Amino acid sequence: MKKKIGVYVCHCGGNISDYVDVERVRKAVENEEGVFLAKTTMFACADSNQKEMVNDIKEQQLDGVVVASCSPKLHLLTFRAVAERAGLNKYNYVHANIREQVSWAHSDNKEGATEKAIKIVEAAIARVRHAESLDPIKVKSTNAVAVIGAGVAGMRAAIELAEAGSDVYLIEREFFVGGRVAQWDNLFISKESGKELVTRLYDEVMKHKHVTLLTGAEVVENKGSIGNFELKVKVTPRHFKLQCNPGELQKAIDVCPVVVPDEFNFNITNRKAIYHNYPSEYPQLPAIDIKNCTRCGECEKVCTAVDFSQKTEYRNIKVGSILLATGFDPYEPKKGEFGYGEIDNVVTLPQFKRIVHYSKDKLMYKGKEIKNIAYIYCVGSRQVDGDNKYCSRYCCTATIHAAIDVKKRFKNVHNFHFNRGIRTYGKQEILYDESSILGDIYLQSFEHDPPVVEKVGNETIVKIKDILTKDKEIEVAADLVVLVTGMTPRKDNAIGNLLKIPKGRDKFFNEIHMKLRPVETVINGVTIAGASQGPKNIMESMNSALSAATKSFSIVASGELALEPVIAEVDEKTCEWCGKCDEACPYSAFSKVEKDGKFIAKVNPAICKGCGMCLPVCPVNALNIIGMTDEDVEDMIDALIPNA
Amino acid sequence: MKTLEYDVLVVGGGIAGGEAALNLANIGYKVLIVEKELSIGGKMILLSKVFPTLDCAACITTPKVSEIQRHPNITVFTGAEPRKITKKGEHDFEAVVFQKPRYVDVAACTGCQLCEEACPVSVTDEYQFGLIGRKAAFIPFSIASPRAAAIDIDNCILCGACERACPPDCIDFTQTEEEFLVKIKSVVVATGFQLFDPLKIPRYGYGQYKNVITSMQMERELAPTRPFNTILRPGDGKMPDNIAYVLCTGSRDKSVGNPICSQVCCMYSIKQAQLLMGALPMADITIYYLHIRAFGKGFNEFYAQAQEMGVEFIKGKVGKISEKENGNLILRYEDIEAGVVKEAEHDMVVLSVGILPNRGIDEVFDNEKLKLDPFHFVDQSDILASPAKTSIDGVFVAGTATGPMDIPDSILSGGSASAETTSYLRRRN
Repeated sequence: MKKKIGVYVCHCGGNISDYVDVERVRKAVENEEGVFLAKTTMFACADSNQKEMVNDIKEQQLDGVVVASCSPKLHLLTFRAVAERAGLNKYNYVHANIREQVSWAHSDNKEGATEKAIKIVEAAIARVRHAESLDPIKVKSTNAVAVIGAGVAGMRAAIELAEAGSDVYLIEREFFVGGRVAQWDNLFISKESGKELVTRLYDEVMKHKHVTLLTGAEVVENKGSIGNFELKVKVTPRHFKLQCNPGELQKAIDVCPVVVPDEFNFNITNRKAIYHNYPSEYPQLPAIDIKNCTRCGECEKVCTAVDFSQKTEYRNIKVGSILLATGFDPYEPKKGEFGYGEIDNVVTLPQFKRIVHYSKDKLMYKGKEIKNIAYIYCVGSRQVDGDNKYCSRYCCTATIHAAIDVKKRFKNVHNFHFNRGIRTYGKQEILYDESSILGDIYLQSFEHDPPVVEKVGNETIVKIKDILTKDKEIEVAADLVVLVTGMTPRKDNAIGNLLKIPKGRDKFFNEIHMKLRPVETVINGVTIAGASQGPKNIMESMNSALSAATKSFSIVASGELALEPVIAEVDEKTCEWCGKCDEACPYSAFSKVEKDGKFIAKVNPAICKGCGMCLPVCPVNALNIIGMTDEDVEDMIDALIPNA
Repeated sequence: MKTLEYDVLVVGGGIAGGEAALNLANIGYKVLIVEKELSIGGKMILLSKVFPTLDCAACITTPKVSEIQRHPNITVFTGAEPRKITKKGEHDFEAVVFQKPRYVDVAACTGCQLCEEACPVSVTDEYQFGLIGRKAAFIPFSIASPRAAAIDIDNCILCGACERACPPDCIDFTQTEEEFLVKIKSVVVATGFQLFDPLKIPRYGYGQYKNVITSMQMERELAPTRPFNTILRPGDGKMPDNIAYVLCTGSRDKSVGNPICSQVCCMYSIKQAQLLMGALPMADITIYYLHIRAFGKGFNEFYAQAQEMGVEFIKGKVGKISEKENGNLILRYEDIEAGVVKEAEHDMVVLSVGILPNRGIDEVFDNEKLKLDPFHFVDQSDILASPAKTSIDGVFVAGTATGPMDIPDSILSGGSASAETTSYLRRRN
């Protein structure tokens, strides 16, 4: 039992003290059993107060510390570190949340809030009284990182990790690298094309002998955890030998009888079952789309590189950290949404970029020259009725950039932008300005009153009630309607499900804290980068990729990790494996093992987060959380409800 | 001149510079942060709550600055600036750093504030953006790091009252400017931004009408360390109940030489509006805007939340503000939706001022040119593949030194700069 507990009650500069009488809280607890000193402080987390706490712990030889302040999510680690710096084992620190749970929640009842704060601090004191010193769990870490997704973010992260000195497995599901940027052609701000950027990064990746690039590859199983993820990677063959004669290859493509829509061009063109995305794609080796291949064998007759004997392989790799750079899917409009799929000259922005790419002297679509283009913004973003409430961030700029591009390249192009408020933030504003000077027409509506696309005779008409001209009804006859489709989370979330990565309200991967830990997830050792976390442009994706690489590197570089010891433990005598704990565990930390002739549950200390979900479901009470025993919790409850 | 040696010089101790410095220090590099203000923490440490999560800014910044100050691999100079940085070769830079005298022995100062009480001189408090006064002997602000006194020598009358009042005897008028020769292998420029000065738009009446304030002043009124402990209009101390926000003040405006969008004003104004609705439940808040740029993660949802809370959004540019006798303000604006020019009365106006570059860092580089972009931000030489690279190999850039950006983006940019610096330093072998 502690005899010299220090209690600090934080004002949080008014966040708490405006609603809770902190001085009354201090007085109420200063004579509690074991409390040696009780103070109030303006900002417990401020440097000056941290120094004072360190001095108190050292000089007064405190054996337990409680800070009553904000959520432990914010500052549990801050004050544990204070204890540690003062030479006190950090598990003798207990955090009391009187901000989120008290002052913010009960701002309408100051008296009640103060009483509740006193109880919460008393409960924390009850717990710290029999807190025990614990040592962190030490785990050896493999100096290797799996980067999932070889788009620009993944490739950039891989390069950085390799330069820092880690082994990298760059795992790409497609047969070709470059992700969405490879499909994008001209890019804003630099004069580079998507292809050029992808080429540059690919060359850099291939220079590093520490990077293993696996294409056609997917992670299908994970057995480990932070420091030692054991991944099983399924590698689908391309059915091509490494050496391939270009002349023979072209013949093979020519003779292939299978014609399917080309996804790389968003289905505006077709390809064969033998394909490469574009002549200089990477890796520079075609692939056979085995799902659509009829095995007619024609290609084998003309091309010696074709090899149908290649089999799916499984590779087992061990890494210390996983960096997810799995990107996004462009929003796919529903049939009939602004005429999509029903009116033949309605396309999406990604399709439009490919149409521009394939147009030579004239801007052509389906054999017709395009002059009047209507762009309809926010398709699949900022939805009133749909689930996508978020703004996709990149599309305003991307559209205006594309519109300027076609206007400069082709004669007699007229651009009409049916927007919901242009969001060319930051320096991107200059593009908006430039497009206005070039004579592009901007028409705007609010969310609840979007434009309408109709077929009238042979013409495709876009109608809007334009708020920029006093709600005037304006009609534009468009040769092409471009739906400015936003970014959506990947439809195929196999890797997210496998690793149990939580998603935000927008269904993209969620970080722990946007400002404090922006590239980490609650799954220890897994970081996120690029548009997998939410819409981003290329520069923003790069910044997040480099930040995630820094974080992943810090996990694997030290060789040894110190993990939280506040985890579940199994009483091996009582446990008679029933599997209920395994079902309840959100992190899959339990496994079934045989010991002394019976099956029992075993906890993987590197996975367990000490959440306690398993405790109440155990029928024989064989589970405990180290540092948070039943006795601790009962004492806390007694302190909260003394007369119960 | 004292000679010092570090691996990396970080110019600017705001959140971007701080993030870069911490990342570098955590993998073992020795870092010197040179900060021109008296405290590190940049602009963020002075903010109230931050969008879109409404976390309290101090709660995020204070532990970060505390970690920076006590990190064994980081040295911090406050009140200091590099005056010359010379690239002598790859991984070989020399910087001449000047540190202004604080006239206080920072290590000995306990922050007791007795000097403040003793000092007879009152001047405008720049850390409260002119809302209240401070003494010539003063602690910059309550969560400053270091939390130590400083003497504002320009306003000090050398009466010696502070010296006599100081218990640890740490006030020292004999201090002089110090000059250091710093040898480093790499430089991170994280010089941040300055706010647009609305005196440049006289028709908005800032500086003339007392109830027209800047968004940074409102930020201080809302902050935990707020000067009035409530929201007041400065003219007469009345609690306002009809507040207007004028967006794009000094942004997207060629007439003041700043054609670009400042990227954060829409969101911070929406945030302030939400906080004001909590602080002054009866008050009406109107935001005059051109386009609401709610583009980041959770931003559009945050904008929708403000609309649901009852914040009024009027699409239109404010042309002119005039003052009534009672201190209320008349805003003349174009109501774009109605297609007419209208007037509206508010009892307080907040100008949502934009972000401008901090000038002069390019002139510090001596023999190689640090290229700037057309808006005088630091140019990103390989913006798509390596956003932290500048025109000088070995010099990297983080945060708003490259252009307007919000806090999450600044932190990621700081991470990006530290990654590039690490690669550069490792390339030596």
